Amino acid sequence: MAVSESSAQRYQLQDPDVRLMLKVRDDDAAAFDELMLRYQNRLVTVLEHLVGRRDQAEDLAQEVFLRVYRARKRYVAGAKFSTWLYTIANHVAANALRSRSRRPEVNISARATESGGFGTLDKIAVAASGAMPTRQMDKAELRDVVREAMQGLSERQRMAVLLNKFEDMSYADIASAMELTPQAVKSLLSRARVNLKELLEPYFDDGTRPQ
Amino acid sequence: MTKHESAQPEIDDELTAYLDGELDAASVRRVEDRLARDPTYRGQLQKLERTWDLLDRLPRADVGEKFTKTTLEMVAVAAAKEAEEVNLALPKLKQRQRLAGVIAMVAALAVGYVIGRQAWPDPNEVLLRDLPVIENIDLFYQVEDVDFLRALDREHLFEDAEGDNAS
Repeated sequence: MAVSESSAQRYQLQDPDVRLMLKVRDDDAAAFDELMLRYQNRLVTVLEHLVGRRDQAEDLAQEVFLRVYRARKRYVAGAKFSTWLYTIANHVAANALRSRSRRPEVNISARATESGGFGTLDKIAVAASGAMPTRQMDKAELRDVVREAMQGLSERQRMAVLLNKFEDMSYADIASAMELTPQAVKSLLSRARVNLKELLEPYFDDGTRPQ
Repeated sequence: MTKHESAQPEIDDELTAYLDGELDAASVRRVEDRLARDPTYRGQLQKLERTWDLLDRLPRADVGEKFTKTTLEMVAVAAAKEAEEVNLALPKLKQRQRLAGVIAMVAALAVGYVIGRQAWPDPNEVLLRDLPVIENIDLFYQVEDVDFLRALDREHLFEDAEGDNAS
């Protein structure tokens, strides 16, 4: 990507993480440690809600950091560091989800029910459905319901939502990380919000959990 | 499809961009004017906002030291491998440099040979060119007139002599 001298200087001035990455480019190991510490929790959070599994999210985050290290010599300050990092994360996650979709799927619902997971919560939700609007919802239950609603979004909607909600990224930055236009991001986020509303509303109305 | 339904995606886009702070000042004023006078529009915004706020319930990861340590170890292994590859690449580079040197030397030698051949003709070449005369020198000495020799040559009489010499 061609980056003008002035925009590279601007990012260098405005973004301390860009300055750290430029030190990583010059083989400063301490700068790499610092960047990793700053981003590891944020990156694993986004990846966990994107792929739906913590163990896989950690593996993918490690792959992202490895790619950052390997790409250090080619790094140019053409965007905020977080935008560059999530561009890599988006590629890594998309590859992982693609290869997972090619493999036979494990029935998560059945497995979760056997271990007393989602099934039990489902029963709680159904049993308590009559009292839903007024009852005090269990925090863990609500968290699981929201997580299930997130998994009901498409991968791209999920990524856009996570970058917008957790990373506070602008449409332009999300567009850059996901290699889309800002207009496409606007539509993606709009559809995602509407889908989330449609997935979560029945739960609040009558306790029906997202499918 | 009613007019309201067909306009819904635009309304959703507009309200989402409003909530995300991505509208320009004029659009913000337009949305806020409508919010003030249209309860349905206001209700749509509240529903979108409420579900969006629920995303705060999603857990945030706290990976801990083990993750950091393992990742840094992986990067250290990658760095060591990278250094090894650079070291392995060095002799190959030297080999290439040597090969290039050899090619340049051979090319220089070839050019020098051609120039040298043009500047200093091979003395053996003159001998080879004059070989038929040398071989028949005794015969030529017996005939003193060059025109007569040429007449004999036109009759191909020397060919028999060359054939005899060859056999």
